[in-house]
Amino acid sequence: MTSLKLQPLRGKRILIAKPGLDGHDIGAKVISLALRDAGAEVIYTGLRKSPEYVARVAAEEGVDAVGLSLLSGSHKELVKDVMEQLRAFEASELPVFVGGTIPPQDREHLLELGVKGIFTSDMRLDDVVASVAKALA
Amino acid sequence: MLHPRDPIDRSSLGRQLTRAANAPVADILAGFPAQPAHAAVRIGVTGPPGAGKSSLTARLCRRRLDAGRRLGVIAIDPTSPFTSGAILGDRIRMEDVSSHEQLFIRSLASRGAHNGLTDNLPEILLTLDCHDFDEVIVETVGIGQVECAVRDLVDTTVLVLNPESGDQVQAMKAGVLEAADIIVVNKADLPGATKIAAEVQSVIRIRDHSENDWTPRVLMTSRHDEPGLENLDHALTEHLRWVRSRVDETARRRARLAYHLNTLVMRLSTERIRDLPPEWLDAGLSEAFKKLIESLS
Repeated sequence: MTSLKLQPLRGKRILIAKPGLDGHDIGAKVISLALRDAGAEVIYTGLRKSPEYVARVAAEEGVDAVGLSLLSGSHKELVKDVMEQLRAFEASELPVFVGGTIPPQDREHLLELGVKGIFTSDMRLDDVVASVAKALA
Repeated sequence: MLHPRDPIDRSSLGRQLTRAANAPVADILAGFPAQPAHAAVRIGVTGPPGAGKSSLTARLCRRRLDAGRRLGVIAIDPTSPFTSGAILGDRIRMEDVSSHEQLFIRSLASRGAHNGLTDNLPEILLTLDCHDFDEVIVETVGIGQVECAVRDLVDTTVLVLNPESGDQVQAMKAGVLEAADIIVVNKADLPGATKIAAEVQSVIRIRDHSENDWTPRVLMTSRHDEPGLENLDHALTEHLRWVRSRVDETARRRARLAYHLNTLVMRLSTERIRDLPPEWLDAGLSEAFKKLIESLS
């Protein structure tokens, strides 16, 4: 018997995406497993995907949220491009979260672009999952 | 298909598939989704985990896309019984082909289904039928009953084994090997591949095949083996052609409807049993059964 408390993301489909040129995806895989353990159905794009591909997959898979894993520093451009592409695929309503190495001075900019949550690698996984669950409730 | 087609409307189809996947039994009985005029050809790809199904499916898709087809892939992965979550990992294994313009991939978790398929799979397939796909591949993980379950819904069933499948071949000998139209021993470059292929071949030979039956093909493939893949591609086309020439449309329609009926009834009864008043259970088996059946009608 699973309860909504233990599995707060039960029934939610979440896309974890790596737009841009990051070389490794350990973080993306760790968060994917944490989301699964909270009940989510997780689709991971793999490395080095274009913003267009990310938005296309989000639309095709009918996901409830998109998590962008970004390490290489071009987060402002990539987030902007992904948001534009989501609009092009009629998915501008989709909550977008960002995880990885995001300097504090760029947080405001990303929130203005429409990002719903920013999760840096120093945060506890439990807290990340709880934030996502709250946003999707 | 040589005429130019409209591009796949991914946003619209994505939304429709979400609706189909979540449609309650009442909506389905009220006629959702609408019955399309044309049904895509359906191919089931199944087999134990670790057989390399997704990579093989991706390579097969590439060949069939190159021949000008529009393909849909339904990739089903198991829901964890402990967390209710799932990692839907088939898409990433199909990376090489996943951005093709004429390919659409939907990843699904098995959710409440226990036969390796997924809830509302008939509705999902009907939705794809409305979008001009030439072929739809349903990819599932399975040993045991799964292979037979997918057979009820598709035209051709491909079973993918690998050289580590030895024990599974033993377990599968009764029934499952009979359900597959094409059996592929993948990772054929590993030791044991020829032995598995020979074992499977001998099981098939033992069975009685009348002249009118399709004798299941046993093929071997591996990652860089293009001729092996070509054989698989041709065998698939051949079987699909054979099915088209033999199929009794009425019998098939009835069989699929029966399958559909079964899934709907099972879903309803699972829901009811989950919410059963404890007093009913205290009344004993016959009484509880009677009350349950009454509540279902």
